[in-house]
Amino acid sequence: MMRISCPLIDGPATSAAQDACGLRELGVGGAPVDSFPLPAVQDIDSFEREVVEYVKPNHGTTTLGFIFQGGVIIAVDSRASQGSYISSQTVKKVIEINPYLLGTMAGGAADCQFWERNLGRQCRLYELANGKRITVRGASKLLANTMFSYRGMGLSMGTMVAGWDEAGPGLYYVDSDGQRTKGKLFSVGSGSLYAYGVLDEGYRWDLSVEEAVELGLRSIYHATFRDAASGGTVSVYHVTQEGWTKVRGEDVGELHFRFYPDPAKHPCNSVDPLAV
Amino acid sequence: MSIFEYNGSAIVAMAGKECVAIGSDLRFGVQLQTLATDYKKIYKIHDQLFLGLAGLGTDAETLSQRFAFKHNLYRLREERDIKPSAFGQMVSATLYERRFGPYFCQPVIAGLEPDGTPYLCGMDSIGAQETAKDFMVAGTATDSLLGICESLWRPDLGPEELFETVSQALLSGQDRDCLAGWGAVVYVITKDKVIARTLKGRMD
Amino acid sequence: MIVIPAYNPIASHYSFSLTTFSPSGKLVQIEYALAAVAAGATSLGIRATNGVVLATEKKLPSILVDESAVQKISLLTPNVGMTYSGMGPDSRVLVRKARKSGQVYYRQLHEQIPVAQLCRETAAVMQEFTQSGGVRPFGVSLLMAGYDDNGPQLYQIDPSGSYFAWKASAIGKNMVNAKTFLEKRYSEDMELEDAIHTALLTLKEGFEGELSGDNIEVAVVGEDRKFRVLTPAEVTDYLAEVE
Repeated sequence: MMRISCPLIDGPATSAAQDACGLRELGVGGAPVDSFPLPAVQDIDSFEREVVEYVKPNHGTTTLGFIFQGGVIIAVDSRASQGSYISSQTVKKVIEINPYLLGTMAGGAADCQFWERNLGRQCRLYELANGKRITVRGASKLLANTMFSYRGMGLSMGTMVAGWDEAGPGLYYVDSDGQRTKGKLFSVGSGSLYAYGVLDEGYRWDLSVEEAVELGLRSIYHATFRDAASGGTVSVYHVTQEGWTKVRGEDVGELHFRFYPDPAKHPCNSVDPLAV
Repeated sequence: MSIFEYNGSAIVAMAGKECVAIGSDLRFGVQLQTLATDYKKIYKIHDQLFLGLAGLGTDAETLSQRFAFKHNLYRLREERDIKPSAFGQMVSATLYERRFGPYFCQPVIAGLEPDGTPYLCGMDSIGAQETAKDFMVAGTATDSLLGICESLWRPDLGPEELFETVSQALLSGQDRDCLAGWGAVVYVITKDKVIARTLKGRMD
Repeated sequence: MIVIPAYNPIASHYSFSLTTFSPSGKLVQIEYALAAVAAGATSLGIRATNGVVLATEKKLPSILVDESAVQKISLLTPNVGMTYSGMGPDSRVLVRKARKSGQVYYRQLHEQIPVAQLCRETAAVMQEFTQSGGVRPFGVSLLMAGYDDNGPQLYQIDPSGSYFAWKASAIGKNMVNAKTFLEKRYSEDMELEDAIHTALLTLKEGFEGELSGDNIEVAVVGEDRKFRVLTPAEVTDYLAEVE
């Protein structure tokens, strides 16, 4: 569809958001990401700082990803919370952007869902325009540019973009500050420190696929145990040359008693609760 | 974040037929970090009287010690165990003494009166009493607990039924709260014995 | 400049107990207090199976005194009351302190103070006045009667602060004779109505003149746990039954 550019009539047809999303370069018309109406307040920064607290559920999360000899492993929990209330135990925190790309969610649920879907759309349009899949590097850059264009406006995201392209396995960390980092091993979310503890201890490049999956699972489990805002189920994805597969989905409620069949032997149970 | 949610807690008490039950979760944490999973919030005053203290852990321990102290003196003075209703008043009076610098605790009192009738009461951190014929809840999971108690509680439950009801209510209620859970303890007080059990729960 | 501090005995920081041991190990102040009690009007109490009765003489110095304004038996809590023999003003101090003890207990526990507790608290006050500086012992003995979870109870408290539970007791001028009389008349299965009769008869023994509803006072506490001073009319009716 053709569009005549009448900026004064149409409003911001070439908004910062569109620029950042790379829509103009792609020559895509039709239904671009609309620019968002701004609140009618004097001080947008402080208004956003205040309001973001209301629209930011799912702050607590544990996600992780690492590259090893057999590809990429992504593992996440599934809890969504609003304050201390658990609003869901069955949240999908991995967005399947396309058969070769995954994105993880931490931070604001709405922000993650919206912008990662938007990333999926951009990636698909790239494919249509160029006749080839977008690289992990390219996809993560698109997301980082979007984040940067909204910097300071209250978005809250900490994501990993993982996938496989002609360069092999790829893993990037992108957040709402606009930071974008390439790496072999990341963990994001309120439970990330606990996950890192297990992950760093168990990680080796030459891990077998089975060992790697188990390491991801165990890291998330330990994070859900220590971190009150993480829990639910552990989902583990494995990315190879053939694309991603979901390899595990286990309820933490049962996982704990598989790792520690006797509750009295757990290090956090040093006394018998029934002892007076 | 409220100081009442610093450590996390869930307490339920229910009345049955000539019995009462009280239970708590087992988590002890500092904000989102879980430190221990064997920390019960129920304190025994005597065979027929239990006290649950939700809220700030350090204050709960101090209060439980003060009440043990007060009850010991009471027992020496009067040569008898205190009645649950009188104990409720004592807790209330003790909390109000700190009206302008409260203990950050919400107590729940469950016991059997000398005639065998159940006594249940709860109060806020400065001693405003609320007695109930059915159930009392306190802690960080009160919203979910209240809802589940409302639907599970029935009048005149026997000790074993009451145990089952409190356990289900506690486990379900605390599963919707980040700051409480990681197992539970339940006590059922009857005329001649106390049933005490630990429950396995979700550990996340 | 030389300053000589003025010695002011009133502002002196220390004051000393008047109740000190005599070489033989007695506290004579307490013995004097007991003498004051022994000179006072006779009071007595009887514990029955279903209640307690207190009775006391109300002899007035002159017929011109309005006897309806004189009260020798006082309510302490709804279920406990007391009377005294000895010095009236001293007893009122103890009534005030005992009532306050009852209220403090009620405020803390929302329960009526047990008779034994109120007795102990009051006795503690009396003891304190045998050991503190600048005070003298109370010139009264008390009879405290009440009904609580432990049933009907009668206590006697002496100026020394010692107290005992009694089945029946008498204090004051005629106490020796009255006690002998009570020992003969008392029986374990006595009910409240009998106890009232016995109380009046005992009082009558040592009384100079004629008993009437106006020159004695009687109070009862029964299973309803309400301590009640009888009206002169009720006393007159009971007196008629005793005749």
